[in-house]
Amino acid sequence: MAAPTLAERRPEIFLAVLLSLCLVTLSLQVRRPGGRTVGEGWLLTAVSPFVDLVTSVRSGIHEVGTWAMSRRALRVENRALTAEVAALHGELLRLRDAEEDKRRLLELFGAQPSPPPGTIPARLIAVESSGPFHTALLDRGASDGLHLDGVVLARGGLLGRVIALGPRTARVQLLSDSTAAVGVLLTHGTRGGRMAVAKGDGKGSVSVEYVPAIEPVEPNDTLVSSGTDGVYPGGLPVGRVASVRRNKTLFWEIQVSAAADPHGESLVFVLPPVRKSDVTSGSSVAERH
Amino acid sequence: MKPLRVAVGLSLAVLATLALGALNMPAPPDFFLLVVADMARGGAAVPAMLAGLPAGLLQDGLFAPGRLLGLHAFSKILIGYLLATVGARTVVEKPVAVGGLLMGAVLVEAATLTFLIWVLTGDFLPPAPWLLAARAATTGLLGGLLYAASRVPWKQRREARRRVRLN
Repeated sequence: MAAPTLAERRPEIFLAVLLSLCLVTLSLQVRRPGGRTVGEGWLLTAVSPFVDLVTSVRSGIHEVGTWAMSRRALRVENRALTAEVAALHGELLRLRDAEEDKRRLLELFGAQPSPPPGTIPARLIAVESSGPFHTALLDRGASDGLHLDGVVLARGGLLGRVIALGPRTARVQLLSDSTAAVGVLLTHGTRGGRMAVAKGDGKGSVSVEYVPAIEPVEPNDTLVSSGTDGVYPGGLPVGRVASVRRNKTLFWEIQVSAAADPHGESLVFVLPPVRKSDVTSGSSVAERH
Repeated sequence: MKPLRVAVGLSLAVLATLALGALNMPAPPDFFLLVVADMARGGAAVPAMLAGLPAGLLQDGLFAPGRLLGLHAFSKILIGYLLATVGARTVVEKPVAVGGLLMGAVLVEAATLTFLIWVLTGDFLPPAPWLLAARAATTGLLGGLLYAASRVPWKQRREARRRVRLN
């Protein structure tokens, strides 16, 4: 049986054409809830794969181009960020160090948040205490604003005074030096202080002499600088009484536990030297500033 | 002659539909289908489809709800093709067979319209069964009667009567 020819298929072709025309006409009239006609919907559905293909190719090319361009920029940015991170890391370390310094400063001055004007922070880079002369070396000198007889404070209290100056360094005489002495007020309980002199014994500690045995002195009595010696201002913690012993004379033999330990301190503060006008009044650090 | 026959048939179909509509007849026959069926006689598919196109468009323009131009055109073209195909492959001589064929055509057209409306608008709106049955019955009956009337040799009878009067 032979297949029908195109002419024999004429009615079917005619039917298909007419029905298609009707469908197209109908689809252009019917509107769906979205506002589109059915024909538009069919058309969009039919062409959507091609639209997707073109969009995908276009976005792919765009992404490749962007990736190639941004890769170089990212490298440069990465290098810059690495350098910035390193700089910030250094800055962080510096700030941590500064925070530690600030904490120590606050501990040193108690309720006084800012140090007196002219106070210079310095690092204690060496302590010499093997012989009778006990000294320490600071990393600041005359070019940093330090002066002879500058008062050196540590976190716990008075440490000593500047006895020699270099451009970048300074030598400090510690209180434990055998030639060092400081006028103190020995306070017992709630009683007012009694004037005395604390001296270094050259062995790493401090003792107080010439306190009459009739005076009540007990361990843990506090000693602060009196400000009458012309070197140290008044009110600075010097130490506590460690032991009290009566010798053959009329005076107590008092051993003092120094408030500041030079071996345990790395940061100190150097106050300006005491002015002569402050000596007579025996003013304290707080009063001076 | 055929286009003129189609035009006259469609004009009559419009008039008849309007007249029956004015009379509030619940299930009038599909006169447009009769025109298409007339053109499909003898298996002529293309003339039947060409008659179905204007018949359907007229029906859409005048009577279709929603003014979906092309809805009945689609169904009438399809019915024209089917009737012509059946007419080409079978011998339909008796008016009852013609009436049955037309009833089937009405049912097929209703199914086609329901399907088209569902596809296009998403609404499934099948016609009421008794209305559809009544419409199919009236269309088949009228079609059968018209077919029977068309087979009567009116000219020969008139000639015979005239000869009898002259003698």
